[in-house]
Amino acid sequence: MYQLLKRFQSMDRRWVFLGMALAIVIPTLYPVHFPTKVDERVQSLYDRIDQLEAGDTVFVSADFDPASRPELEPFFRANLHHMFSRDVNIVIGSLWPFAPPLVTPMIEDLATQHGGVYGEDYAFLGFKLGNELAIKMIGDDILKAFPVDSRENVTADLPIMSGIRQAQDFELIVSVSAGFPGTREYVLQIQGQYDLEIASSTTAVSTPDYVPFYKAGQLFGLAGGMPGSAHYEQLVYRDYPVEGVRMMATQALDVLNLGHLYIIILIVFGNIAFFLTREVEE
Amino acid sequence: MITLPLTSVLLTATPLTATHLTAGSLIGIWVSIFLTLAIFSFLYEDNPIYKLAEHIFLGISIAIGATEIYYGVFKPNLIDKLAEGRLLSIIPLILLVMLLLKMTKKFDYMAKVPIAFIVAAFAGVKLTGEANANLMTQVAQSMPNLPEVYREHGIWSWDADGAGVFSSIFLVLGLCACLLHFYFSAKQTKSMAVVSKIGIIVLMLSFGASFGYTVMGRISLAIGRAQELLGLDKPPIDVTITSGGDPINRMSLVRMISFGTLILVIVFLAVWQKRRTQSEE
Repeated sequence: MYQLLKRFQSMDRRWVFLGMALAIVIPTLYPVHFPTKVDERVQSLYDRIDQLEAGDTVFVSADFDPASRPELEPFFRANLHHMFSRDVNIVIGSLWPFAPPLVTPMIEDLATQHGGVYGEDYAFLGFKLGNELAIKMIGDDILKAFPVDSRENVTADLPIMSGIRQAQDFELIVSVSAGFPGTREYVLQIQGQYDLEIASSTTAVSTPDYVPFYKAGQLFGLAGGMPGSAHYEQLVYRDYPVEGVRMMATQALDVLNLGHLYIIILIVFGNIAFFLTREVEE
Repeated sequence: MITLPLTSVLLTATPLTATHLTAGSLIGIWVSIFLTLAIFSFLYEDNPIYKLAEHIFLGISIAIGATEIYYGVFKPNLIDKLAEGRLLSIIPLILLVMLLLKMTKKFDYMAKVPIAFIVAAFAGVKLTGEANANLMTQVAQSMPNLPEVYREHGIWSWDADGAGVFSSIFLVLGLCACLLHFYFSAKQTKSMAVVSKIGIIVLMLSFGASFGYTVMGRISLAIGRAQELLGLDKPPIDVTITSGGDPINRMSLVRMISFGTLILVIVFLAVWQKRRTQSEE
């Protein structure tokens, strides 16, 4: 027993990686059904967006890159689907240079599915460099921040932008944020100053930092990491399966549970092995 | 509780009409799969395939970053404005040149001016936001209105993830204990030591939660790659590779490519390992 525990402690780390690969691939191929409970923060986000009326305009800040795509793409897609299906006008911008090539196909895909007309039902203003200063500009004068959209149209000439001059003119702001600049900067720079309603979808790593913003009412909703995206998907696509839609975060949630279980087992066994072998050695 | 037919998540009803997969898309799928497996090969050992993928990633990142900065900053804010004859734009140009002088030995002191400008502007922008939205609002929220919390959630609400009077009191006491732990000018009496220990426990709980979320984030990334390698990143769709050819399920096609590439990477690693061992001998 002592030898076995000792071998377990000095096991080649590559076996741990192989175990993790299996813990991810097997449930991805053969899903196990775990019941889930929608998080209150995601429910709040969903409810507020569900209250929007046709013709309301929402600004979505797509601030993510390929590295955070698995966590945030499902939310981004579900969020656009949710708003398109309610005839809400969507204006999208980005503060991350890698976001435009990533989100443009998603936006076009969703717009085509819902018959959205560019410039009237939705618009993508493209990328704006400048981090906090860019956010300040969005707060003060969005037409100055994005003088032309991603298709080189003059932003002020787009029908969707009529009556919109600054962030305050949007009904809501949804920040899909993978880090800096993102939700935190929106809250610090313009949320309080203009009393804006902001919701956030963020990576798991950033979630603990943003929970205090939600608790303080600075965010009206928060979808954190893969579970947040999965819960939002489950609220939006209630009548799943829908043709042409794959709920990526939902299918990943089971896998996430088993991945965590694998790590917990390793931690528990590692500690047991450590303490038992130490006792024997002493 | 929401119950979803999860098996149907993987096997969605009717596949959409078959679309033609161009050679470009096919190469794109293969490159994506190859680079993913090349990066994962580092888990076995640092090797030439990993190095190749790493250098490609670095090169592309720098190229995209440089292009974005040129077209997003320099061109609209400096070059276009100078071309329009707006002479005030010379000021940022001068500051830019002064900043670049940092690389010289003789005039490096001149870089202090633009650096001071950047620091001051950054501090000005950050300070108001931090003071207003972070400090004031968060401090105010750290003092919960207990009667209101009791009315809303009672002592402890399972439905609201443990919100209630108990959690609110724990929050206030934990916050005070953490602050007292960092209060170094007080004499370390027995009672202070106890409070300080409680502060450490609360900090550990907080770090543990953050670490847990970080682990979750990393596993999520791995799942994202697994979904792509297994062809589960797109809705079920039939594709044709040759014009007028038989349609094939995209998911099956991606899995075939992934499997083939995996074999290729494993064979490469085996050969590389063998040659390395031989050369060491």
